[in-house]
Amino acid sequence: MGNTKLRISKRAIQNISGYLFILPFLIGFFWLTVFPIGMSFYLSFTRYDLLGSPEWVGFSNYIRMFTNDEKFIQALKVTFFYAFTAVPFRLVFALLVALLLARVVRGSGFYRTALYLPSIIGGSVAVAVMWRQLFGNNGAINGILSSLGLPTRSWLGDPDTAIWTLILLFGWQFGSSMLIFLAGLKNIPQEFYEAASVDGANAWYRFTRITIPLLTPVILFNLVMQLINGFLAFTPSFIITEGGPLNSTLLYALYLYQRGFVFFDMGYASAMAWILLLIIAFFTAFIFGSSKYWVHYESGGGR
Amino acid sequence: MLIAALAITLAACGGGGSSSGGGSADGGSSDQGGSSDSGSDEQIVLRVAWWGGQDRHDATLKVIEMYEEQNPHVKIEPEFSSYDGYWERMAAQAAGNNLPDVMNQNFGEYLTQYTERGLLADLTPFIEDGTIDTTYIDDSIIDSGKMGDKLVAISLGTNARAVLYDPELFERAGAKMPELGWTWDDVAEAGKLISQVTSWGINPLESRRTAEVWLREHGGRLFNDDGTGLGYDDDKIMEDYFAMHLDWLEQGIIAPLDVAKQHNSTENSLIVHGEVGMMFTWSNGVIGHSLAAQRPLELAPYPGPNHEKGLYLKPSMYFSIPESSDKKEEAAKFINFFINDIEANKILNADRGVPVNSQVLEAMKETVDEATRKTFEYIELITPHTSPIDKNHPATAAEVLSILEEVDEKVLYKQITPAEAAKEFRQRAEEVLNR
Repeated sequence: MGNTKLRISKRAIQNISGYLFILPFLIGFFWLTVFPIGMSFYLSFTRYDLLGSPEWVGFSNYIRMFTNDEKFIQALKVTFFYAFTAVPFRLVFALLVALLLARVVRGSGFYRTALYLPSIIGGSVAVAVMWRQLFGNNGAINGILSSLGLPTRSWLGDPDTAIWTLILLFGWQFGSSMLIFLAGLKNIPQEFYEAASVDGANAWYRFTRITIPLLTPVILFNLVMQLINGFLAFTPSFIITEGGPLNSTLLYALYLYQRGFVFFDMGYASAMAWILLLIIAFFTAFIFGSSKYWVHYESGGGR
Repeated sequence: MLIAALAITLAACGGGGSSSGGGSADGGSSDQGGSSDSGSDEQIVLRVAWWGGQDRHDATLKVIEMYEEQNPHVKIEPEFSSYDGYWERMAAQAAGNNLPDVMNQNFGEYLTQYTERGLLADLTPFIEDGTIDTTYIDDSIIDSGKMGDKLVAISLGTNARAVLYDPELFERAGAKMPELGWTWDDVAEAGKLISQVTSWGINPLESRRTAEVWLREHGGRLFNDDGTGLGYDDDKIMEDYFAMHLDWLEQGIIAPLDVAKQHNSTENSLIVHGEVGMMFTWSNGVIGHSLAAQRPLELAPYPGPNHEKGLYLKPSMYFSIPESSDKKEEAAKFINFFINDIEANKILNADRGVPVNSQVLEAMKETVDEATRKTFEYIELITPHTSPIDKNHPATAAEVLSILEEVDEKVLYKQITPAEAAKEFRQRAEEVLNR
C-alpha cells in the first residue's frame, strides 16, 4: 500500500516537473495564441474602434462584408488570383531547382545555402524595398530591357502588371519548399531508377512514373503549407505597392490591416480574419480530402 | 542605453515619498503669478507621452531634464515611441484608464475620438487662472484646440499647406514667381513652362489635403458640422477639381501617379531630383526637402481665387491632459513651460512646427537654420490671410480621405470621368459617415 502511494506521488512529481518544463510554452500558448483567438472571435461580433469598449452588433460585420463592401470583394479576388498563381509557380520552380541540385555532386552545400537565402530574408521589409527598386521605372529590370532595345514599362504603376511583380517575389522565395523537395528526392531509392533504365525507360518516363508518384507526400505537404502562406501574404503588397494601383494588389491581409489599424474598425477586421480562416480551412480540407486519389504512400498499406 | 538609464533613475527617484523641501513649482522664465502651489513640496511623478523620431526624443528629453532641474519636486517619466506604436499604446492605456498626465494629441480623427469618449480634460480653467499663459499666443491657435465648448488640447506648433517650389527652375523656365494671391491658372501656366525645361511641372496634388482647400475656396467644406455627411452640396465643385487634376496630367503638368509613388520619400522626391518645380505639401516640408536637395527651396501659399477662405493654420500636434490624470495642475504647468519657455524652445528647435508663442518665435529667428526660418516667415505671411481650420473631422475621416484618394486615382488612370468620380466620392463617403 505504502509502496503504491510512493509510486503515485513519484509519478505526480514527474508530471509536475514535466509541466514545469513546458510552462514557458504553455504560458505563451494560452496568453499569446488561445486568448487572442478567442478575443478576436468575440470582437468579430462587435463594433470596436480600439479606444472605447466593444459594442455588440451581432452578425452585421459579416453581413456588411458580403453585401456592401466592394473593397472586400476586390481583396478576395486579388488574393485568390495571387494564391492560385503564385503557389504553383513557387512549387514548380522549387521542384525544378531541387531536381537540378539533386544531381550536383560538388559544392552542393554551397548551392543549397545560396538558393535558400532568399527564403530567409524573403519576408523582410528589405527585400520588398529591393523589389520596388528592381521593378521601378528607373529600376534594373527596365534598365536591362532598354539596353536590349526592348520596350520598358511601369511594372508597379500598371494595374495589370503590379500583381505579377508580387507573384514573382513569392516564387523567388522558393528555398524552403526546395529543401523539402530535395530531401524527398534523396529518399527515392536509386534501385527504382536503375531497374527502369534496364527496362529502357527514358528520362521523362522515369520522372513521371517514379519521381512524381514517390514525391507526392512531399508535394502534399508543400502545397498545403504554401497555400496557407499565399493566403496570408502581407508584407509585399504593404511595402511594394501599398495595395495600389487601383487596388489591383490589395491582398486580403493588407485590407484587414487597413480596416483594423487605419480605419479603426477592429470588429470588422476580426470578422475578416475569421472568414480568412474559413477559406484556408476549406482549401486545406479539400486538398487533404483529395489526397487519397493522388498521394502515394510507400508504406501506406492498402492504398 | 542613455534612455534606459534615465528611465531607471527616474523610476527610482519617483518612488521616494520624501518631501523635497522648499522648491517652488514656478520655474524658468515663464512663471506666472496666480497659480496655486498647494502640494508642490510633495514629490510627484508626471508621465509625459509623445511620438516622434530620434532627434525629437533627444531634444524633448533634454527639455524634460531642464524642467526637472527648475522644479525639483517633479520627476517626469517619459513615454515615447514612433507615431504608429504611439497610438496603439495610448489605446491600451485608455482601456486601462491609465493614460499619462500629458499626452501628445493629433488634429483630426484622433482628437475627435478621444474627445467624444470624454478622455480629455477641459483646460479652460488653467488658461483662466494663468497656469497656462496665453498672452503671446494668437486666439486662433488656442481655438484650434477647442472641441465644442471645451478646450481639450494646446497646440505645440503651427503648420500650413503650402506650395514648395524650386526658384531656380522657375527662373530657367521664365515662369512668373509665385506670390500671395496667385491663382490655379497661374500654377498651371508656371507648371506648363517648367515642364518644358525639366520632366514635369508639379508633383501630383496630394488630393486628400488639397481637395479640402479647394472645397473651402469654393464655399464648401469637407465635412458637415457634426461630421455625419459631406460639407458641400454641389458635386460640380469636386468634379471641377478632378477635371483640373486630369487635365494637368494630360498636359504633362503633373507627374504621373506611378512615378510619384516611386518617389514618395523626402530624399528621393521629384522636387529634390529637380524633375518637377512645385510640390503641394505642408510648410515644414521645406526643411527636409531643402536639406536633401542641397539647394534652397521656397514656400508659396496655395493659389486662389479665394485663397483667404482656403488657407488655414493647422496645429501640427497638441498636448492634452487626460481626464484620468490626478495631477492636472502640474501637467498644465509643464505644458506652460513647454510652449512658453524660450530656452526650452531653442532646444526643441521648432521640430513640432512654428512655435505658437510670438515672443518665442521672435527669439528663435536668430538661432534656427535658414529653412526653418522660412517656415516662420511663411506662417507670418499667411496668418492674416487664413480662415479657421475645420475641426469637424469625424472619427471615420481617415476612411473618407482614403476614398477621396482612390477616386482621384481612378480619374487619373482614366477609369472614370471626373463627374462620375464626384458622384462616387459622395456616395461612398456618405455611406461611411452614416455607418
